[in-house]
Amino acid sequence: MASEVREFNIIVAGVGGQGVLFTSRVLTRAALDSGLNFVQSEVHGLAQRYGSIKTEVRIGKDVISPLIMEGTLDLLLALEPIETLRYAGYITERTSIVLNTHLVAPVGAYLERLRIPKLEEVLDALQKLGPKRLVPLNAVELAAKAGDIVATNSVLLGAADALGVLPFEEGVLRRALEKESPKRFIELNLRAFDLGREHILKR
Amino acid sequence: MPSALLSPPGSIVPLLGNEAIARGAIEAGLDVAAAYPGTPSTEIGEALAEAAKELGFIFEWSTNEKVAAEVAIGAAWSGLRAMCFMKHVGVNVASDALFTLAYAGTVGGLVIVSADDPHAHSSQNEQDNRHYAVAMGFPMLEPSTPQEAKDFAYRAFDLSEKYLLPFFIRSTTRISHTRAPIKLGEIRERRIKGKFKPPEPDRYIQVGVYARKHHAELLEKLKTIEKELGPEFTVLKDGSAEIGIVTSGVSYTYVLEALRFLELDAPVLKLGMTHPLPRDIIADFMRKVSKILVVEELDPFLEERLRAIAKDANPSVEIIGKEGGLLPRVGELNIRLVLNAVAKVTGRAPPIDFSKLEERAKPALELAVPRPPVMCPACPHRATGYALRRAAGSAVYLNDIGCYALLFQKPFKLGDVTHAMGSSIGFANGISLATDQRTVALIGDSTFFHAGIPALINAVHNGRKFLLVILDNRITAMTGHQPHPGVPFTATGEEAPAIDLETLVKAIGVKDVHVVDPYDFKAMESAVREALKHDGVSVIIARRECALLTIRRLRREGRKIVPYRVNPERCTYCRVCINTYACPAFVDTGKVVEIDPTVCFGCGSCVDVCPYGAIEPMEGALNWRGEKIGV
Repeated sequence: MASEVREFNIIVAGVGGQGVLFTSRVLTRAALDSGLNFVQSEVHGLAQRYGSIKTEVRIGKDVISPLIMEGTLDLLLALEPIETLRYAGYITERTSIVLNTHLVAPVGAYLERLRIPKLEEVLDALQKLGPKRLVPLNAVELAAKAGDIVATNSVLLGAADALGVLPFEEGVLRRALEKESPKRFIELNLRAFDLGREHILKR
Repeated sequence: MPSALLSPPGSIVPLLGNEAIARGAIEAGLDVAAAYPGTPSTEIGEALAEAAKELGFIFEWSTNEKVAAEVAIGAAWSGLRAMCFMKHVGVNVASDALFTLAYAGTVGGLVIVSADDPHAHSSQNEQDNRHYAVAMGFPMLEPSTPQEAKDFAYRAFDLSEKYLLPFFIRSTTRISHTRAPIKLGEIRERRIKGKFKPPEPDRYIQVGVYARKHHAELLEKLKTIEKELGPEFTVLKDGSAEIGIVTSGVSYTYVLEALRFLELDAPVLKLGMTHPLPRDIIADFMRKVSKILVVEELDPFLEERLRAIAKDANPSVEIIGKEGGLLPRVGELNIRLVLNAVAKVTGRAPPIDFSKLEERAKPALELAVPRPPVMCPACPHRATGYALRRAAGSAVYLNDIGCYALLFQKPFKLGDVTHAMGSSIGFANGISLATDQRTVALIGDSTFFHAGIPALINAVHNGRKFLLVILDNRITAMTGHQPHPGVPFTATGEEAPAIDLETLVKAIGVKDVHVVDPYDFKAMESAVREALKHDGVSVIIARRECALLTIRRLRREGRKIVPYRVNPERCTYCRVCINTYACPAFVDTGKVVEIDPTVCFGCGSCVDVCPYGAIEPMEGALNWRGEKIGV
C-alpha cells in the first residue's frame, strides 16, 4: 500500500491553542511509521495567538512542496467550523471534511459587529462545494466524555481514522497518537480517539 | 521532539527545517551556539537547548542578536565551531558586528543562519537577506528542503574552516517551519576548549590600512569560492522544453510540482549558493534556452543578476520573473502562482480551473469572519491595556515587538506605532521633545533587555518626560517562552542570576518607579495616574507571569482548569465586558454574554470588569490571586 500513495493532502485548521500543531505532528508520525514520504508546514509566533491557524500535511512519493495547491485537497480536518470556510477554494469532490461543530466566534467580530455564521449556514456552504464527505461531530462533547476537552483534537483524529480515507493501515494512527502524546495525556487521548472512531463507525 | 533530534545515525526522523539545521550543526561538532529568539528561527535554539543538556556543548539565549553574533564570533576566533542564528530583522541588529567580520574572517567554523519571513507571517517586514550576503561579503547557502537545511548546515562548518570565512545559511519560513523525514548522520567529536590566537597579528584589527588589505583578500576569497563551490551547490535538471527555469530556496519545490502538474519537461537550474553566484554555470544554462523564467521569493535578486550575466553570455535570451509583474514581489510563492506563471509563459492551460474554484468558494468565504491573532485568555497584557485605557486616556501610544503589540487592536487601541525592537522608547524620546502630547511607551521585559535600555538612558540623561510601561511577563512569550536576562534560569535550565528590572531602572536614574500586578486594576490605574503627574520619565513595571506558563504549570500539577461563568440573571447584556476587555472566551448570544468553557482559563481577572457583578467562579475555580474560591 505504502508505495502506491502518490499524493494525499490534508489541511488541519483551527484556532490557535486548539492543538492544530499537535494534530499534524501525529499525522506525520503515522506517515513516517507507514514508510511514506511527507512534507508538513506550519506557522509559529504571533501568527498563532488565538487567531486562525492551519497546517498543511502532504503525504506520498510525489510531494516535495510544503504548500498544497488549490483543488488538490483530500482531507480537511477542522477543530472549529468557521475555520473550515477559509479553505473553501481548496475543496473539490476529492475532499473529505471532518469538523468539530463547537463554534468559537472571534471576539474581534463582536467588536466590529460582524455577523457570525450559524453552524447550519457553515455546513450548508460546505455542502454546496460538493465535497466527497462532510462529517460534522461534536468533538468537544466526546472529549469531555473521555475526561477533558483538551483531547478534542484526538476525537477528530479518531473520526478521520474511522472514515477510512487516510493512507494508513489499521491501528497506525492510534499508535502515532500514543507516541506523540505527552505521558500524562496518553490515556486520555487514546480514549478520546476511540470515542471519535466509534462515533463514525456506529453511524 | 528532542528524542527524534538525537536519534542514532542512519535513522530517518521527522524534523522541522529548524531542527534539521540544529542537527546538522551538532553533527558537524558544534561547540558554541548563541541567539536571540525570533520567528521563524527560534526552534533551532529550542532543539539546541535540549541537545546541549545531553551532549554538553554550549547554547545560550543572548540579550540580543548582536551580542549573540559576538559570542559566536569570539568562540570561533578561539578555534571552536560556533553558530548564531536569527530572524531576518535580527541580522539588522547584528549587522554592525557582521559587516566587519567578513574582513576579519574566522579560524573555527562559523555559521550564521538568517531565517527570512516572506509574507511577514510573524514579522514587521519582508526584507530579503540575500542582499546582506552581497553587501557584507559572505558566502550564502540556500537550502530548498529541510533535508538540505541539515546537509548545508553540516557542510558549512567545514567550508568555513577551509576558506577561513563565516558562511551564511538563508532559510525562509517554509523551510524553517516545514517538517519532513530527515536522514541523520554521525555526530562528530567536539573540540570543547579553544585558544584565542590571531592567525596574523593584524587579522582582527580593522583600521584603515589593515581594513583595506583585508577587504582585498576577501574579494579574492569570494572569487575562489565561486569557482570551487559553484558545482557542489548547483542542481541541474535537464529537460526538452525551450523554456528554462532558474530558482533557489523553497521556490524550487514549487517549480518541480508545477512542472509535474503541467506535465512539462523543462530544464531547471537550482542554485544552492546565492552568493557568490556560479556565473559560469548560469552562463552555460543561458546558452541552451531562449527563455528563462526566474522563480524566487521576495526581491528579484537572481533575476537582476541573471540579466547582467546575460549581457555577455547570451544577450538574446529572454529573462522573465518579477520585473514584468508575472510573479509577485509581495508575499510568498506557492505551487499555484508558479504553475500559472509557467502556464502563461509556455501557452499551456493549467490542469485545474482555479477561477472556477474561486467563484464557487465565494459564498463560503463571505461567511468566514476574520480571526486575527488576539491576546490569549488570562493574558496579563489585556489587563494592563484595560487599566491604561481607563487611566491614561488620550495619548500617543508607542508599542513595540511582542505579544503586547496586539494591544493596537480594538478595544484597547494602544499602538500608534509598532516598528522595531526597542523603538517604542526611542520614539518616545523624539515625540515627547517635539510635542506637548502625553506620551506612553510600551515594551516587554525581553524586548527591554534586548534594545530598550540605551533609549531609556538617553531619556533620563536628556531630561525627557514620558511614561514607560514595561509589560513584564517573566519570559520571552511570543516566540514560545524562552528565558531572558531577567529570569533566574538559562536556556538549558541552569540557575542564573536574574537582572532585576526595578534596580536596573532605578540605577539608570528613573525617580518614579512602580511595580504592579496588572490583574489588580485599582493599583494599576492609580499607578498610571500618579506616573503621569510626574515631571520626568516614569516607569511602571506591570508584572505577572505569561498566562500560558501558569496554565501549563497548573496542568502539570494535575490541576484542572475551572472556567468562570456569567450569571444570566445578573447579565443585563450591556456588553461592557466585550467592549472593554475583549477576552476571546466571551460569547455574545445576542441576549446575554456567556463564557465559553472551552476557551476560558479561569483566571477571574474579568470579574471586576462587569458593572453588575454577573461574572462568577464555578465550584473549584481560582480567583486571580490564586486563592481557592467556590460559588
